[in-house]
Amino acid sequence: MTDWWDYHLIDFLLFSTRVYYRLFASFNLAFWPVNLALYLAGAGLVVLVLRSGTGAGADRQRWLCRLVPVILALMWAWSGAVFMGYYYQPINWAVPYVLPLFGFETLMLAVFAVRKTPLQFCWRGDFSSMAGVALLVLAIPVYPFFSLFSGRDMMAAELFGSAPDPTMIGTLGLLLLARGTWRWILLPAPVLWCLITSLTLWAMDQDIAWLPLVAAWLAILGGWMDAKSGVTRKPVATPPGRLNSTHHQTDKVGFIE
Amino acid sequence: MTFADISRRTFLTGAARLGAVAFAGAGVPFMGMARAQQVVSGSGGLHRKIPASGETIPAIGLGSWITFNVGNDPVLLKNCADVMGAFFAGGGKMIDSSPMYGSSQATIGHGLAALGIARDQVFATDKVWTGDENGGAEQIAQSAKNWGISRFDLLQVHNMLDWEDQLPMLQAKKAAGELGYIGVTTSHQRRHELLSVIMQREPLDFIQVTYNPLDRAVENRILPMAQERGIAVIINRPFRGGHLTKALRGKALPGFAGDYGAQSWAQLILKYIISHPAVTCAIPATTKVDHVRENLAAAMPDKGGNAGKTDILPDILPDEKMRHAIANAIGDAL
Ligand SMILES: NC(=O)c1ccc[n+]([C@@H]2O[C@H](COP(=O)([O-])OP(=O)(O)OC[C@H]3O[C@@H](n4cnc5c(N)ncnc54)[C@H](OP(=O)(O)O)[C@@H]3O)[C@@H](O)[C@H]2O)c1
Repeated sequence: MTDWWDYHLIDFLLFSTRVYYRLFASFNLAFWPVNLALYLAGAGLVVLVLRSGTGAGADRQRWLCRLVPVILALMWAWSGAVFMGYYYQPINWAVPYVLPLFGFETLMLAVFAVRKTPLQFCWRGDFSSMAGVALLVLAIPVYPFFSLFSGRDMMAAELFGSAPDPTMIGTLGLLLLARGTWRWILLPAPVLWCLITSLTLWAMDQDIAWLPLVAAWLAILGGWMDAKSGVTRKPVATPPGRLNSTHHQTDKVGFIE
Repeated sequence: MTFADISRRTFLTGAARLGAVAFAGAGVPFMGMARAQQVVSGSGGLHRKIPASGETIPAIGLGSWITFNVGNDPVLLKNCADVMGAFFAGGGKMIDSSPMYGSSQATIGHGLAALGIARDQVFATDKVWTGDENGGAEQIAQSAKNWGISRFDLLQVHNMLDWEDQLPMLQAKKAAGELGYIGVTTSHQRRHELLSVIMQREPLDFIQVTYNPLDRAVENRILPMAQERGIAVIINRPFRGGHLTKALRGKALPGFAGDYGAQSWAQLILKYIISHPAVTCAIPATTKVDHVRENLAAAMPDKGGNAGKTDILPDILPDEKMRHAIANAIGDAL
Protein backbone atom coordinates (compact mmCIF):
# COMPACT_ATOMS: atom_id res chain seq x y z
CA MET A 1 0.00 0.00 0.00
CA THR A 2 2.60 2.54 1.07
CA ASP A 3 5.26 3.26 -1.49
CA TRP A 4 7.49 6.15 -2.36
CA TRP A 5 4.67 7.95 -4.12
CA ASP A 6 2.78 7.78 -0.86
CA TYR A 7 5.14 10.42 0.48
CA HIS A 8 3.32 13.71 0.52
CA LEU A 9 5.05 17.04 0.48
CA ILE A 10 3.66 17.49 3.98
CA ASP A 11 5.84 14.55 5.12
CA PHE A 12 8.85 16.76 4.58
CA LEU A 13 7.47 19.71 6.48
CA LEU A 14 9.19 20.05 9.82
CA PHE A 15 7.03 22.71 11.41
CA SER A 16 3.45 23.88 11.61
CA THR A 17 2.00 26.86 9.75
CA ARG A 18 1.34 28.55 13.05
CA VAL A 19 4.98 28.30 14.13
CA TYR A 20 6.18 29.51 10.72
CA TYR A 21 4.09 32.67 10.69
CA ARG A 22 4.81 33.41 14.31
CA LEU A 23 8.45 33.74 13.28
CA PHE A 24 7.56 36.92 11.38
CA ALA A 25 5.61 38.30 14.32
CA SER A 26 8.56 37.72 16.67
CA PHE A 27 11.01 39.10 14.11
CA ASN A 28 8.96 42.26 13.52
CA LEU A 29 8.33 42.75 17.21
CA ALA A 30 12.02 42.52 18.06
CA PHE A 31 13.39 44.51 15.10
CA TRP A 32 10.52 46.68 13.91
CA PRO A 33 12.60 49.86 13.50
CA VAL A 34 15.08 48.11 11.18
CA ASN A 35 12.40 46.19 9.30
CA LEU A 36 10.27 49.29 8.86
CA ALA A 37 13.26 51.41 7.78
CA LEU A 38 14.29 48.83 5.18
CA TYR A 39 10.70 48.57 3.94
CA LEU A 40 10.34 52.33 3.56
CA ALA A 41 13.81 52.67 2.02
CA GLY A 42 12.88 49.94 -0.48
CA ALA A 43 9.56 51.58 -1.32
CA GLY A 44 11.27 54.98 -1.73
CA LEU A 45 13.91 53.51 -4.02
CA VAL A 46 11.31 51.95 -6.25
CA VAL A 47 9.51 55.28 -6.63
CA LEU A 48 12.80 56.93 -7.56
CA VAL A 49 13.63 54.17 -10.04
CA LEU A 50 10.24 54.46 -11.72
CA ARG A 51 10.51 58.23 -11.91
CA SER A 52 14.04 58.08 -13.26
CA GLY A 53 12.68 56.79 -16.56
CA THR A 54 10.78 59.99 -17.15
CA GLY A 55 13.52 62.39 -17.91
CA ALA A 56 15.54 62.06 -14.73
CA GLY A 57 18.89 63.71 -14.82
CA ALA A 58 22.11 61.79 -15.29
CA ASP A 59 23.09 62.79 -11.78
CA ARG A 60 20.21 60.97 -10.19
CA GLN A 61 20.84 57.95 -12.43
CA ARG A 62 24.43 57.95 -11.30
CA TRP A 63 23.73 57.65 -7.57
CA LEU A 64 20.58 55.60 -7.96
CA CYS A 65 22.48 52.90 -9.86
CA ARG A 66 24.79 52.62 -6.84
CA LEU A 67 22.16 53.02 -4.16
CA VAL A 68 19.77 50.32 -5.40
CA PRO A 69 22.30 47.46 -5.16
CA VAL A 70 23.59 48.79 -1.84
CA ILE A 71 20.12 48.78 -0.28
CA LEU A 72 19.27 45.43 -1.85
CA ALA A 73 22.52 43.97 -0.49
CA LEU A 74 21.61 45.22 2.97
CA MET A 75 18.16 43.64 2.67
CA TRP A 76 19.57 40.28 1.61
CA ALA A 77 22.19 40.34 4.34
CA TRP A 78 19.61 41.31 6.98
CA SER A 79 17.00 38.76 6.04
CA GLY A 80 19.68 36.09 5.55
CA ALA A 81 21.52 36.65 8.80
CA VAL A 82 18.72 37.62 11.14
CA PHE A 83 15.51 36.08 9.84
CA MET A 84 16.98 32.97 8.27
CA GLY A 85 19.88 32.46 10.66
CA TYR A 86 18.30 33.37 13.96
CA TYR A 87 14.56 32.79 13.52
CA TYR A 88 14.11 30.22 10.77
CA GLN A 89 17.11 27.96 11.28
CA PRO A 90 16.04 26.60 14.70
CA ILE A 91 12.88 25.15 13.17
CA ASN A 92 14.35 24.12 9.83
CA TRP A 93 17.69 22.34 9.76
CA ALA A 94 17.82 22.78 5.97
CA VAL A 95 18.38 26.55 6.33
CA PRO A 96 22.20 26.31 6.40
CA TYR A 97 22.00 24.74 2.95
CA VAL A 98 20.23 27.79 1.49
CA LEU A 99 22.16 30.46 3.39
CA PRO A 100 24.91 30.46 0.71
CA LEU A 101 22.26 31.83 -1.69
CA PHE A 102 21.87 34.84 0.58
CA GLY A 103 25.63 35.22 0.93
CA PHE A 104 26.18 34.97 -2.81
CA GLU A 105 23.47 37.50 -3.68
CA THR A 106 24.67 39.96 -1.04
CA LEU A 107 28.20 39.73 -2.38
CA MET A 108 27.13 40.11 -6.00
CA LEU A 109 24.94 43.11 -5.20
CA ALA A 110 27.88 44.68 -3.39
CA VAL A 111 30.05 44.06 -6.45
CA PHE A 112 27.44 45.71 -8.67
CA ALA A 113 27.32 48.67 -6.31
CA VAL A 114 30.99 49.43 -6.85
CA ARG A 115 31.43 48.11 -10.38
CA LYS A 116 32.72 50.51 -13.01
CA THR A 117 29.74 49.98 -15.31
CA PRO A 118 26.84 49.83 -12.88
CA LEU A 119 23.36 48.50 -13.46
CA GLN A 120 20.82 51.01 -14.68
CA PHE A 121 17.33 50.87 -13.23
CA CYS A 122 14.49 52.60 -15.06
CA TRP A 123 11.08 52.18 -16.58
CA ARG A 124 11.34 51.24 -20.27
CA GLY A 125 7.71 50.57 -21.00
CA ASP A 126 8.35 47.07 -22.36
CA PHE A 127 7.15 43.69 -21.08
CA SER A 128 10.00 43.38 -18.57
CA SER A 129 9.30 46.80 -17.11
CA MET A 130 5.63 45.96 -16.70
CA ALA A 131 6.38 42.58 -15.16
CA GLY A 132 8.95 44.22 -12.91
CA VAL A 133 6.48 46.79 -11.66
CA ALA A 134 3.86 44.08 -11.11
CA LEU A 135 6.33 42.13 -8.97
CA LEU A 136 7.28 45.24 -7.02
CA VAL A 137 3.64 46.06 -6.37
CA LEU A 138 3.14 42.50 -5.17
CA ALA A 139 6.25 42.60 -2.98
CA ILE A 140 5.84 46.02 -1.40
CA PRO A 141 2.28 47.26 -0.91
CA VAL A 142 0.42 43.95 -1.34
CA TYR A 143 2.51 41.30 0.43
CA PRO A 144 2.13 42.64 3.99
CA PHE A 145 -1.65 42.32 3.70
CA PHE A 146 -1.56 38.58 3.12
CA SER A 147 -1.07 38.30 6.83
CA LEU A 148 -4.36 40.10 7.48
CA PHE A 149 -6.25 38.28 4.69
CA SER A 150 -5.22 34.98 6.24
CA GLY A 151 -6.53 36.01 9.63
CA ARG A 152 -3.15 36.61 11.19
CA ASP A 153 -1.94 39.61 13.10
CA MET A 154 -0.63 42.58 11.10
CA MET A 155 2.49 42.23 13.22
CA ALA A 156 3.17 38.95 11.40
CA ALA A 157 3.28 40.83 8.07
CA GLU A 158 6.10 39.82 5.76
CA LEU A 159 7.88 43.01 4.79
CA PHE A 160 9.97 43.74 1.74
CA GLY A 161 13.51 44.21 2.94
CA SER A 162 13.42 41.84 5.88
CA ALA A 163 11.17 38.83 5.13
CA PRO A 164 12.69 36.57 2.46
CA ASP A 165 9.67 36.06 0.18
CA PRO A 166 8.77 39.68 -0.61
CA THR A 167 12.47 40.58 -0.67
CA MET A 168 13.12 37.95 -3.33
CA ILE A 169 10.07 38.94 -5.37
CA GLY A 170 11.00 42.62 -5.09
CA THR A 171 14.57 41.84 -6.16
CA LEU A 172 13.23 40.05 -9.23
CA GLY A 173 11.07 43.10 -9.96
CA LEU A 174 14.06 45.44 -9.77
CA LEU A 175 16.13 43.09 -11.92
CA LEU A 176 13.45 43.33 -14.60
CA LEU A 177 13.69 47.10 -14.46
CA ALA A 178 17.46 46.94 -14.83
CA ARG A 179 19.46 46.43 -17.94
CA GLY A 180 22.83 44.91 -18.59
CA THR A 181 23.64 41.30 -19.43
CA TRP A 182 25.53 40.76 -16.21
CA ARG A 183 22.44 41.45 -14.13
CA TRP A 184 21.35 37.88 -14.82
CA ILE A 185 23.98 36.68 -12.42
CA LEU A 186 21.62 38.06 -9.77
CA LEU A 187 18.73 35.94 -11.03
CA PRO A 188 19.45 32.35 -9.80
CA ALA A 189 19.41 33.07 -6.05
CA PRO A 190 15.93 34.70 -5.90
CA VAL A 191 14.56 32.24 -8.47
CA LEU A 192 15.81 29.27 -6.46
CA TRP A 193 14.40 30.76 -3.28
CA CYS A 194 11.04 31.30 -4.99
CA LEU A 195 10.94 27.60 -5.90
CA ILE A 196 11.84 26.55 -2.37
CA THR A 197 9.35 28.88 -0.73
CA SER A 198 6.56 27.87 -3.12
CA LEU A 199 7.08 24.24 -2.14
CA THR A 200 7.10 25.16 1.54
CA LEU A 201 3.92 27.23 1.25
CA TRP A 202 2.29 24.50 -0.80
CA ALA A 203 3.14 21.92 1.87
CA MET A 204 1.59 24.30 4.40
CA ASP A 205 -1.51 24.48 2.21
CA GLN A 206 -1.25 28.24 1.71
CA ASP A 207 -3.34 29.89 -1.01
CA ILE A 208 -0.44 32.11 -2.06
CA ALA A 209 1.94 29.20 -2.66
CA TRP A 210 1.89 29.75 -6.42
CA LEU A 211 2.84 33.44 -6.25
CA PRO A 212 6.63 33.07 -5.78
CA LEU A 213 6.62 30.50 -8.57
CA VAL A 214 4.87 32.94 -10.90
CA ALA A 215 7.31 35.66 -9.87
CA ALA A 216 10.25 33.42 -10.80
CA TRP A 217 8.61 32.49 -14.08
CA LEU A 218 7.92 36.16 -14.93
CA ALA A 219 11.52 37.09 -14.19
CA ILE A 220 12.85 34.32 -16.42
CA LEU A 221 10.36 35.18 -19.16
CA GLY A 222 11.25 38.88 -18.92
CA GLY A 223 14.93 38.04 -19.12
CA TRP A 224 14.36 35.89 -22.17
CA MET A 225 12.31 38.60 -23.87
CA ASP A 226 14.99 41.18 -23.05
CA ALA A 227 17.64 38.93 -24.55
CA LYS A 228 15.48 38.47 -27.67
CA SER A 229 14.73 42.15 -28.10
CA GLY A 230 18.33 43.03 -27.44
CA VAL A 231 17.41 45.44 -24.66
CA THR A 232 20.34 44.37 -22.52
CA ARG A 233 22.73 45.45 -25.22
CA LYS A 234 21.02 48.75 -25.92
CA PRO A 235 22.00 52.09 -24.47
CA VAL A 236 20.06 53.21 -21.45
CA ALA A 237 18.43 56.11 -23.16
CA THR A 238 17.04 54.08 -26.03
CA PRO A 239 13.30 54.63 -26.05
CA PRO A 240 11.31 51.40 -26.02
CA GLY A 241 10.01 52.07 -29.52
CA ARG A 242 13.51 52.01 -30.91
CA LEU A 243 14.79 48.99 -29.07
CA ASN A 244 14.81 46.89 -32.23
CA SER A 245 16.56 49.54 -34.22
CA THR A 246 20.06 48.71 -35.38
CA HIS A 247 21.06 52.35 -35.13
CA HIS A 248 22.48 52.70 -31.64
CA GLN A 249 22.66 55.90 -29.75
CA THR A 250 24.74 56.48 -26.69
CA ASP A 251 24.21 58.87 -23.84
CA LYS A 252 26.33 59.93 -20.93
CA VAL A 253 25.93 56.66 -19.14
CA GLY A 254 26.89 54.62 -22.15
CA PHE A 255 26.40 51.00 -23.05
CA ILE A 256 25.74 48.60 -20.31
CA GLU A 257 27.27 45.16 -20.64
CA MET B 1 22.53 23.60 35.57
CA THR B 2 21.54 20.55 33.61
CA PHE B 3 18.26 18.80 33.95
CA ALA B 4 20.09 15.83 35.45
CA ASP B 5 21.23 18.02 38.31
CA ILE B 6 17.77 19.14 39.24
CA SER B 7 16.48 17.55 42.40
CA ARG B 8 13.16 15.79 42.54
CA ARG B 9 11.61 18.35 44.77
CA THR B 10 9.80 20.43 42.22
CA PHE B 11 7.36 18.28 40.40
CA LEU B 12 5.24 16.42 42.83
CA THR B 13 1.73 17.34 42.01
CA GLY B 14 -1.49 15.46 41.51
CA ALA B 15 -1.25 12.28 39.58
CA ALA B 16 2.51 12.62 39.15
CA ARG B 17 2.86 12.06 42.86
CA LEU B 18 0.77 8.96 42.51
CA GLY B 19 2.89 8.05 39.50
CA ALA B 20 5.65 7.03 41.90
CA VAL B 21 3.64 3.97 42.77
CA ALA B 22 2.45 3.36 39.26
CA PHE B 23 4.73 0.42 38.73
CA ALA B 24 3.57 -1.39 41.81
CA GLY B 25 0.50 -2.79 40.09
CA ALA B 26 0.26 -6.52 39.53
CA GLY B 27 0.48 -7.99 36.07
CA VAL B 28 -2.53 -9.69 34.54
CA PRO B 29 -2.55 -11.88 31.46
CA PHE B 30 -3.86 -10.00 28.46
CA MET B 31 -6.54 -11.42 26.24
CA GLY B 32 -5.46 -14.88 27.16
CA MET B 33 -2.38 -14.74 24.97
CA ALA B 34 0.48 -16.54 26.61
CA ARG B 35 3.24 -14.52 24.97
CA ALA B 36 1.52 -11.19 25.11
CA GLN B 37 3.28 -8.44 26.98
CA GLN B 38 1.79 -8.18 30.41
CA VAL B 39 -0.63 -5.45 31.29
CA VAL B 40 0.13 -3.66 34.49
CA SER B 41 -1.97 -0.92 35.95
CA GLY B 42 -1.28 1.91 38.29
CA SER B 43 -2.37 5.46 38.81
CA GLY B 44 -0.58 6.39 35.60
CA GLY B 45 -2.95 4.10 33.73
CA LEU B 46 -2.09 1.09 31.68
CA HIS B 47 1.56 0.08 31.73
CA ARG B 48 3.34 -2.42 29.55
CA LYS B 49 6.42 -4.48 30.14
CA ILE B 50 9.51 -4.05 28.03
CA PRO B 51 10.27 -7.70 27.21
CA ALA B 52 14.06 -7.19 27.26
CA SER B 53 14.11 -6.14 30.90
CA GLY B 54 10.71 -6.49 32.51
CA GLU B 55 10.66 -2.75 33.23
CA THR B 56 7.21 -1.26 32.73
CA ILE B 57 6.27 1.95 30.95
CA PRO B 58 2.92 3.70 30.46
CA ALA B 59 1.09 2.67 27.30
CA ILE B 60 0.67 6.29 26.21
CA GLY B 61 3.77 8.33 25.46
CA LEU B 62 4.30 11.67 23.79
CA GLY B 63 5.68 12.41 20.30
CA SER B 64 7.37 15.66 19.37
CA TRP B 65 7.51 15.73 15.54
CA ILE B 66 6.31 19.17 14.33
CA THR B 67 4.39 19.92 17.54
CA PHE B 68 7.50 20.74 19.59
CA ASN B 69 9.48 22.36 16.79
CA VAL B 70 8.82 25.91 17.93
CA GLY B 71 12.26 27.52 17.72
CA ASN B 72 12.97 30.35 20.15
CA ASP B 73 9.34 31.48 20.48
CA PRO B 74 8.85 32.00 24.24
CA VAL B 75 5.05 31.73 24.07
CA LEU B 76 5.17 28.42 22.22
CA LEU B 77 7.98 27.11 24.43
CA LYS B 78 5.76 27.77 27.41
CA ASN B 79 2.85 26.09 25.64
CA CYS B 80 4.95 22.97 25.03
CA ALA B 81 6.11 22.98 28.64
CA ASP B 82 2.43 23.08 29.67
CA VAL B 83 1.72 20.07 27.44
CA MET B 84 4.66 18.25 29.03
CA GLY B 85 3.46 19.30 32.48
CA ALA B 86 0.03 17.79 31.84
CA PHE B 87 1.68 14.69 30.40
CA PHE B 88 3.80 14.06 33.49
CA ALA B 89 0.95 15.02 35.81
CA GLY B 90 -1.15 12.35 34.09
CA GLY B 91 1.53 9.73 34.69
CA GLY B 92 3.11 9.85 31.22
CA LYS B 93 6.74 8.89 30.89
CA MET B 94 8.04 8.26 27.37
CA ILE B 95 8.82 11.30 25.24
CA ASP B 96 10.10 10.61 21.73
CA SER B 97 12.22 12.95 19.65
CA SER B 98 14.90 13.01 16.98
CA PRO B 99 17.70 15.24 15.73
CA MET B 100 15.56 15.49 12.61
CA TYR B 101 12.78 17.35 14.45
CA GLY B 102 14.22 20.86 14.31
CA SER B 103 14.18 22.44 17.75
CA SER B 104 12.02 19.72 19.37
CA GLN B 105 14.85 18.31 21.47
CA ALA B 106 15.67 21.75 22.81
CA THR B 107 11.98 22.34 23.52
CA ILE B 108 11.87 19.12 25.53
CA GLY B 109 15.02 20.20 27.38
CA HIS B 110 13.40 23.54 28.12
CA GLY B 111 10.22 21.86 29.38
CA LEU B 112 12.05 19.37 31.58
CA ALA B 113 14.10 22.13 33.17
CA ALA B 114 11.16 24.54 33.52
CA LEU B 115 9.01 21.87 35.16
CA GLY B 116 11.87 20.52 37.25
CA ILE B 117 11.16 16.96 36.21
CA ALA B 118 13.29 14.37 37.98
CA ARG B 119 15.37 12.22 35.65
CA ASP B 120 13.55 9.01 36.51
CA GLN B 121 10.17 10.59 35.74
CA VAL B 122 10.91 10.62 32.04
CA PHE B 123 11.69 7.76 29.69
CA ALA B 124 13.96 9.73 27.36
CA THR B 125 13.61 8.35 23.85
CA ASP B 126 15.51 9.76 20.92
CA LYS B 127 17.15 8.72 17.67
CA VAL B 128 20.33 8.76 15.65
CA TRP B 129 19.76 10.14 12.20
CA THR B 130 22.91 10.39 10.17
CA GLY B 131 24.46 8.84 7.10
CA ASP B 132 27.92 9.54 8.47
CA GLU B 133 29.25 6.27 9.81
CA ASN B 134 31.29 8.06 12.46
CA GLY B 135 28.81 10.85 13.14
CA GLY B 136 26.40 8.99 15.42
CA ALA B 137 28.19 9.42 18.74
CA GLU B 138 28.67 13.14 18.24
CA GLN B 139 25.02 13.54 17.30
CA ILE B 140 23.91 11.66 20.41
CA ALA B 141 26.07 13.91 22.57
CA GLN B 142 24.42 16.98 21.02
CA SER B 143 20.95 15.47 21.46
CA ALA B 144 21.67 14.76 25.13
CA LYS B 145 22.83 18.35 25.55
CA ASN B 146 19.60 19.59 23.97
CA TRP B 147 17.55 17.48 26.36
CA GLY B 148 19.76 18.49 29.30
CA ILE B 149 20.40 14.87 30.26
CA SER B 150 23.46 12.67 30.28
CA ARG B 151 21.92 9.37 29.24
CA PHE B 152 19.03 8.27 27.06
CA ASP B 153 16.73 5.45 28.06
CA LEU B 154 16.22 4.47 24.44
CA LEU B 155 18.01 5.37 21.23
CA GLN B 156 16.68 4.25 17.88
CA VAL B 157 18.11 4.37 14.38
CA HIS B 158 15.75 6.84 12.72
CA ASN B 159 14.18 5.38 9.59
CA MET B 160 16.92 2.72 9.76
CA LEU B 161 19.28 5.23 8.15
CA ASP B 162 22.78 3.70 7.94
CA TRP B 163 21.68 1.04 10.40
CA GLU B 164 24.66 -1.17 9.55
CA ASP B 165 26.98 1.40 11.12
CA GLN B 166 24.70 2.97 13.71
CA LEU B 167 23.32 -0.17 15.37
CA PRO B 168 26.76 -1.55 16.36
CA MET B 169 27.60 1.90 17.75
CA LEU B 170 24.37 1.86 19.81
CA GLN B 171 25.02 -1.72 20.92
CA ALA B 172 28.48 -0.71 22.13
CA LYS B 173 27.02 2.22 24.04
CA LYS B 174 24.39 0.00 25.62
CA ALA B 175 27.06 -2.53 26.62
CA ALA B 176 29.04 0.31 28.19
CA GLY B 177 25.95 1.34 30.17
CA GLU B 178 25.66 4.65 28.33
CA LEU B 179 22.06 4.01 27.31
CA GLY B 180 19.19 1.79 28.33
CA TYR B 181 17.73 0.24 25.20
CA ILE B 182 18.25 0.29 21.45
CA GLY B 183 15.89 0.11 18.52
CA VAL B 184 15.04 1.12 14.98
CA THR B 185 12.15 3.12 13.55
CA THR B 186 10.17 3.51 10.36
CA SER B 187 6.82 4.97 9.40
CA HIS B 188 6.52 3.46 5.96
CA GLN B 189 5.21 0.12 4.93
CA ARG B 190 7.69 -0.16 2.09
CA ARG B 191 10.47 -0.46 4.70
CA HIS B 192 8.87 -3.44 6.46
CA GLU B 193 10.92 -5.93 4.50
CA LEU B 194 14.15 -4.37 5.69
CA LEU B 195 12.72 -3.96 9.18
CA SER B 196 11.96 -7.65 9.43
CA VAL B 197 15.50 -8.51 8.29
CA ILE B 198 16.96 -6.26 10.99
CA MET B 199 14.58 -7.72 13.57
CA GLN B 200 15.87 -11.17 12.72
CA ARG B 201 19.53 -10.29 12.59
CA GLU B 202 20.03 -7.75 15.36
CA PRO B 203 19.37 -7.91 19.08
CA LEU B 204 16.79 -5.12 19.26
CA ASP B 205 14.96 -4.02 22.40
CA PHE B 206 12.46 -1.81 20.57
CA ILE B 207 11.01 -1.15 17.16
CA GLN B 208 8.91 1.88 16.27
CA VAL B 209 6.34 1.57 13.50
CA THR B 210 3.11 3.15 12.29
CA TYR B 211 -0.14 1.53 13.33
CA ASN B 212 -3.72 2.73 13.52
CA PRO B 213 -7.12 1.45 12.39
CA LEU B 214 -6.35 2.51 8.81
CA ASP B 215 -2.66 1.61 8.58
CA ARG B 216 -2.66 -2.02 9.64
CA ALA B 217 0.15 -3.53 7.56
CA VAL B 218 2.23 -4.26 10.69
CA GLU B 219 -0.46 -6.68 11.88
CA ASN B 220 0.57 -9.23 9.27
CA ARG B 221 4.20 -9.77 10.03
CA ILE B 222 5.94 -7.11 12.08
CA LEU B 223 3.81 -7.22 15.24
CA PRO B 224 3.67 -11.04 15.49
CA MET B 225 7.41 -11.14 14.90
CA ALA B 226 8.05 -8.56 17.61
CA GLN B 227 5.94 -10.58 20.02
CA GLU B 228 7.74 -13.76 19.15
CA ARG B 229 11.19 -12.22 19.50
CA GLY B 230 10.40 -10.26 22.64
CA ILE B 231 10.83 -6.81 21.07
CA ALA B 232 8.92 -3.89 22.52
CA VAL B 233 6.83 -1.91 20.01
CA ILE B 234 6.28 1.85 19.94
CA ILE B 235 3.51 3.09 17.68
CA ASN B 236 4.06 6.34 15.81
CA ARG B 237 1.55 8.35 13.77
CA PRO B 238 -1.43 6.94 15.70
CA PHE B 239 -3.62 9.70 14.22
CA ARG B 240 -1.89 9.78 10.84
CA GLY B 241 -0.25 13.03 11.80
CA GLY B 242 -3.63 14.48 12.83
CA HIS B 243 -5.37 13.83 9.49
CA LEU B 244 -7.38 10.99 10.96
CA THR B 245 -8.71 12.91 13.96
CA LYS B 246 -9.43 15.88 11.69
CA ALA B 247 -11.34 13.75 9.20
CA LEU B 248 -13.38 12.21 12.02
CA ARG B 249 -14.22 15.54 13.65
CA GLY B 250 -17.96 15.97 14.02
CA LYS B 251 -18.72 12.36 13.07
CA ALA B 252 -20.82 10.42 15.57
CA LEU B 253 -18.96 7.89 17.71
CA PRO B 254 -20.24 4.32 17.49
CA GLY B 255 -22.50 3.33 20.36
CA PHE B 256 -20.07 0.75 21.73
CA ALA B 257 -17.35 3.41 22.28
CA GLY B 258 -18.85 4.17 25.68
CA ASP B 259 -18.52 0.54 26.73
CA TYR B 260 -14.76 1.05 26.73
CA GLY B 261 -14.87 4.52 28.22
CA ALA B 262 -13.94 6.18 24.91
CA GLN B 263 -15.33 9.67 24.75
CA SER B 264 -13.70 10.70 21.48
CA TRP B 265 -12.42 9.24 18.25
CA ALA B 266 -8.87 9.93 19.46
CA GLN B 267 -9.44 7.74 22.51
CA LEU B 268 -11.08 5.01 20.47
CA ILE B 269 -8.13 4.98 18.06
CA LEU B 270 -5.63 4.81 20.92
CA LYS B 271 -7.58 2.02 22.57
CA TYR B 272 -7.53 0.17 19.28
CA ILE B 273 -3.76 0.56 19.05
CA ILE B 274 -2.72 -0.27 22.58
CA SER B 275 -5.09 -3.21 22.79
CA HIS B 276 -2.93 -5.10 20.31
CA PRO B 277 -0.97 -7.52 22.49
CA ALA B 278 2.32 -6.78 20.77
CA VAL B 279 2.10 -3.03 21.32
CA THR B 280 4.04 -1.53 24.19
CA CYS B 281 2.98 2.09 23.78
CA ALA B 282 1.66 4.69 21.37
CA ILE B 283 3.22 8.14 21.16
CA PRO B 284 0.65 10.68 19.92
CA ALA B 285 2.01 14.21 19.54
CA THR B 286 0.01 17.27 20.47
CA THR B 287 0.22 20.99 21.05
CA LYS B 288 -2.77 20.99 23.37
CA VAL B 289 -3.01 20.32 27.07
CA ASP B 290 -6.58 19.06 26.66
CA HIS B 291 -5.49 16.59 24.02
CA VAL B 292 -2.60 15.20 26.03
CA ARG B 293 -5.01 14.62 28.93
CA GLU B 294 -7.54 13.03 26.61
CA ASN B 295 -4.88 10.77 25.13
CA LEU B 296 -3.60 9.66 28.53
CA ALA B 297 -7.16 9.03 29.65
CA ALA B 298 -7.55 6.47 26.87
CA ALA B 299 -5.37 4.13 28.93
CA MET B 300 -6.83 5.00 32.32
CA PRO B 301 -9.29 2.94 34.30
CA ASP B 302 -12.74 4.54 34.26
CA LYS B 303 -13.66 6.89 37.04
CA GLY B 304 -16.43 4.67 38.40
CA GLY B 305 -14.62 3.63 41.53
CA ASN B 306 -12.44 1.18 39.65
CA ALA B 307 -9.24 3.19 39.76
CA GLY B 308 -6.42 1.19 41.23
CA LYS B 309 -8.04 -2.19 40.57
CA THR B 310 -5.90 -4.11 38.17
CA ASP B 311 -8.55 -6.55 37.03
CA ILE B 312 -10.73 -3.90 35.38
CA LEU B 313 -8.04 -2.84 32.96
CA PRO B 314 -8.95 -5.16 30.12
CA ASP B 315 -12.44 -3.68 30.35
CA ILE B 316 -11.16 -0.37 29.06
CA LEU B 317 -9.66 -2.06 26.03
CA PRO B 318 -11.53 -3.78 23.21
CA ASP B 319 -11.07 -7.45 22.46
CA GLU B 320 -10.24 -8.80 19.03
CA LYS B 321 -13.85 -8.73 17.84
CA MET B 322 -14.39 -5.19 19.01
CA ARG B 323 -11.10 -4.08 17.49
CA HIS B 324 -12.51 -5.10 14.12
CA ALA B 325 -15.66 -3.20 14.94
CA ILE B 326 -13.61 -0.07 15.67
CA ALA B 327 -11.72 -0.33 12.39
CA ASN B 328 -15.01 -0.82 10.54
CA ALA B 329 -16.66 2.08 12.35
CA ILE B 330 -13.80 4.37 11.36
CA GLY B 331 -13.92 3.13 7.79
CA ASP B 332 -17.67 3.80 7.71
CA ALA B 333 -17.35 7.24 9.27
CA LEU B 334 -14.79 8.42 6.70
N1 LIG C 1 10.16 7.39 11.45
C1 LIG C 1 9.98 7.82 12.67
O1 LIG C 1 10.81 7.62 13.53
C2 LIG C 1 8.74 8.57 13.02
C3 LIG C 1 7.86 8.97 12.02
C4 LIG C 1 6.70 9.65 12.37
C5 LIG C 1 6.45 9.93 13.70
N2 LIG C 1 7.33 9.57 14.67
C6 LIG C 1 7.07 9.86 16.11
O2 LIG C 1 5.72 9.55 16.38
C7 LIG C 1 5.07 10.69 16.93
C8 LIG C 1 3.60 10.70 16.57
O3 LIG C 1 3.39 10.81 15.19
P1 LIG C 1 2.98 12.18 14.49
O4 LIG C 1 3.36 13.33 15.33
O5 LIG C 1 3.52 12.14 13.11
O6 LIG C 1 1.42 12.10 14.32
P2 LIG C 1 0.17 11.78 15.28
O7 LIG C 1 0.60 11.62 16.69
O8 LIG C 1 -0.56 10.69 14.60
O9 LIG C 1 -0.69 13.09 15.13
C9 LIG C 1 -0.35 14.29 15.72
C10 LIG C 1 -1.50 15.23 15.51
O10 LIG C 1 -2.66 14.69 16.12
C11 LIG C 1 -3.37 15.70 16.79
N3 LIG C 1 -3.91 15.18 18.05
C12 LIG C 1 -3.23 14.68 19.10
N4 LIG C 1 -4.07 14.30 20.08
C13 LIG C 1 -5.31 14.58 19.64
C14 LIG C 1 -6.60 14.44 20.19
N5 LIG C 1 -6.78 13.92 21.41
N6 LIG C 1 -7.66 14.83 19.46
C15 LIG C 1 -7.50 15.35 18.22
N7 LIG C 1 -6.31 15.52 17.65
C16 LIG C 1 -5.22 15.14 18.35
C17 LIG C 1 -2.36 16.78 17.09
O11 LIG C 1 -2.99 18.04 16.92
P3 LIG C 1 -3.13 19.04 18.20
O12 LIG C 1 -1.80 19.67 18.34
O13 LIG C 1 -4.21 19.95 17.76
O14 LIG C 1 -3.51 18.19 19.36
C18 LIG C 1 -1.24 16.58 16.09
O15 LIG C 1 -1.29 17.52 15.05
C19 LIG C 1 5.86 11.84 16.36
O16 LIG C 1 5.62 13.04 17.04
C20 LIG C 1 7.26 11.32 16.47
O17 LIG C 1 7.74 11.46 17.79
C21 LIG C 1 8.46 8.87 14.35
